[in-house]
Amino acid sequence: MKHTLSILLQNEAGALARVAGLFAARHVNIDTLTVAPTHEPAMSHLTVVIHGSDATLEQIVRQTGKLVDVISVRSLGLLCDAASLAGEAAYASSRDPADDRVAV
Amino acid sequence: MTAMPQTAAATHAPDCHPLAGRAMSGADVVVQVLVDEGVDVLFGYSGGAILPVYDAVFRYNARHRGADGREPMPLVVPANEQGAGFMASGYARASGKVGVAIVTSGPGATNTVTPVRDAMADSVPLVVICGQVPTSALGSDAFQEAPVSNIMGACAKHVFLVTEAEQLEATLRTAFEIARSGRPGPVVVDIPKNVQNAELRFDGTSRLPIPGYRARLRAVENARLGDDDCASFFAALAQAERPLIYAGGGVIAAGAAPALAAFVDAFGLPVTTTLMGLGGIDTTHPLALHMLGMHGTAYANYAVEDCDCLIALGARFDDRVAGAPGKFAPRARFIAQIDIDPAEIGKVKRVDWQHVGPLAAALERLTRYGRAHGIRPMLQDWHAHVAQLKRDHAMNHDRASPLIQPQAVIEAINRVTQGRAIVSTGVGQHQMWAAQYFDFRAPRQWLTSGSMGTMGFGLPAAIGAQFARPDALVIDIDGDGSIRMNLGEMETVTTYGLPLKVVLLNNGGDGMVRQWQKLYFGQRFSASDKSLRRKDFIKAAEADGFAWARRLDDKAALESTIAEFLAFEGPAFLEVVIDPEAGVYPMVGPGASYAQMVTGDFIASRAAVAKATEAAPVDSMF
Ligand SMILES: Cc1ncc(C[n+]2csc(CCOP(=O)(O)OP(=O)(O)O)c2C)c(N)n1
Ligand SMILES: [Mg+2]
Repeated sequence: MKHTLSILLQNEAGALARVAGLFAARHVNIDTLTVAPTHEPAMSHLTVVIHGSDATLEQIVRQTGKLVDVISVRSLGLLCDAASLAGEAAYASSRDPADDRVAV
Repeated sequence: MTAMPQTAAATHAPDCHPLAGRAMSGADVVVQVLVDEGVDVLFGYSGGAILPVYDAVFRYNARHRGADGREPMPLVVPANEQGAGFMASGYARASGKVGVAIVTSGPGATNTVTPVRDAMADSVPLVVICGQVPTSALGSDAFQEAPVSNIMGACAKHVFLVTEAEQLEATLRTAFEIARSGRPGPVVVDIPKNVQNAELRFDGTSRLPIPGYRARLRAVENARLGDDDCASFFAALAQAERPLIYAGGGVIAAGAAPALAAFVDAFGLPVTTTLMGLGGIDTTHPLALHMLGMHGTAYANYAVEDCDCLIALGARFDDRVAGAPGKFAPRARFIAQIDIDPAEIGKVKRVDWQHVGPLAAALERLTRYGRAHGIRPMLQDWHAHVAQLKRDHAMNHDRASPLIQPQAVIEAINRVTQGRAIVSTGVGQHQMWAAQYFDFRAPRQWLTSGSMGTMGFGLPAAIGAQFARPDALVIDIDGDGSIRMNLGEMETVTTYGLPLKVVLLNNGGDGMVRQWQKLYFGQRFSASDKSLRRKDFIKAAEADGFAWARRLDDKAALESTIAEFLAFEGPAFLEVVIDPEAGVYPMVGPGASYAQMVTGDFIASRAAVAKATEAAPVDSMF
């Protein structure tokens, strides 16, 4: 079954390689991968399409959620997992719209 | 993707660090952050790309030498960078603090890949600092350049390549934060040489923004059990007649051993631990069943077979425990799991009750709730059953053989140390015998490469542990194959005058491999026999400066030799020539269920006990 993942990623050296490497190391094949800029220069938006079972999807979403430069990850069409919700909520509340930086 | 320079958040008053605003080189910034993070020993090997940092460490130690001549941050030099990584790991495992290794670029960095991966797999907090070629040379196949960020990215909890000198300080501080927070792990910081030489201004508190990580961490660390969670947990426990705790390394990493002991005592719950969890509960506790799994005690494994409620605490149903997940704890009608890592919940086995959060707080909450509600499960029958399992299926080995049995060696050492020594191991049969036959009265006494199973871990890990606990008795139980892997570190022991004790259980080869070849490869001992090898370990130990180095092959001299060996004040090396045919039992074969456990010739199996007592088949008991 095909699944689509939406990942917000900090633009750090090697960050994209770490996401791709995680999928490879965990034996999850990437069908397509798109990287797009966001309104936030320090951040990119990844859309990853994979195929695999629901268990594979759940595990790769949770493992992606452990990567340090991942701001949030969710599987489109499935309930967001709690960790990604927490990440997004915290990100939204910590963002100063007048400032382009990600404050913490 | 391009690297965006990020300004570290300045959330502090400018004068809160005494050195804030001070001009410093990048290398001095590295040392100052190490000092601020409480680092009191470094393990590492020098080289071109890390020279500025080594020089800064030298100058710092010279400037701050104590009245007694002691350096505040000694730099311990191994024979090989793999040794430095394992020393840092042994230090971290024995102390709970972050272990630090500093190595040069290229080969220095790649030699630490194994300990970094090992620390990741066992959730051990490390910061590994690597020198790197100057940023201008990155990606040019420069001398001693290796793609550390790529290599380590796949192995570590996180890796930073510091390309902007201004971010060096914030990066290092953040590396420590990541290494020790949440589920701990190794963080690698790759620092190009020009960044070490950059002229910087020290800030004192800067950190990198890692909003995703921090938000997830906050959510997990603040997670607490509510009344409803406690109520549903105890409702299920009330239904159980045979509840069992299955405790993993998370108990130790979380500092939850006291909370676990209180929980166990409050509700009378028997406990078995994983290899990594040994010491999470005092193994001499009446409700402790020692280790479960592939080479767990027969009584622990039978208790897993029999339990009707399983409580997994900081444990992940790894394949050496649940080789056949579907058949693991087959009678458990209720499985609960608490872990700090959401990805481990239900990863292998579906659970009925779960909590993602700090383990100590969760156990304290459950204990308080249970006490407040007067919960005291009636488990006398189960306790009697567990005590019977311990009697019927006690650990045992060949006591009549004229050859020295490895298990007897561990027993003899344990009689002296009484479960108080810090024990490290290599990997193989000797590791399993040590796990089975030693007592561990407290956490952080048992240092072993659990998940990776890395031969060569024992000696350097013991060195690191001795630096963490200078007054403790540290014993490396090693194998003849494993010790060869980092034999160069024998000299490190004597160079630093460490009083550690090395026990070599010599069975003339790779015993664990031999055991599998016996069982599964028709006794074809491909490449595992080393009986014709020429190494004289005693001469080797003497050559490396061990004043006490002896070979023991006389069974009658076992007790007296061990007493003398352990009593020796300085570094001591004892080679014991053991029965090469000794096997590790019990054994649950790979992919097998606990019901298929083989207990060997000296431990009674369930079938044997049933036959002897001519009792009804066990399954009819429940
Ligand atoms: C670095 C590494 N290489 C290979 C192995 C596979 N392996 C597991 S146990 C073992 C034999 C270990 O021999 P020894 O250290 O003498 O221990 P024994 O089993 O004889 O007690 C081997 C080769 C490993 N675990 N680690
Ligand atoms: Mg051996």
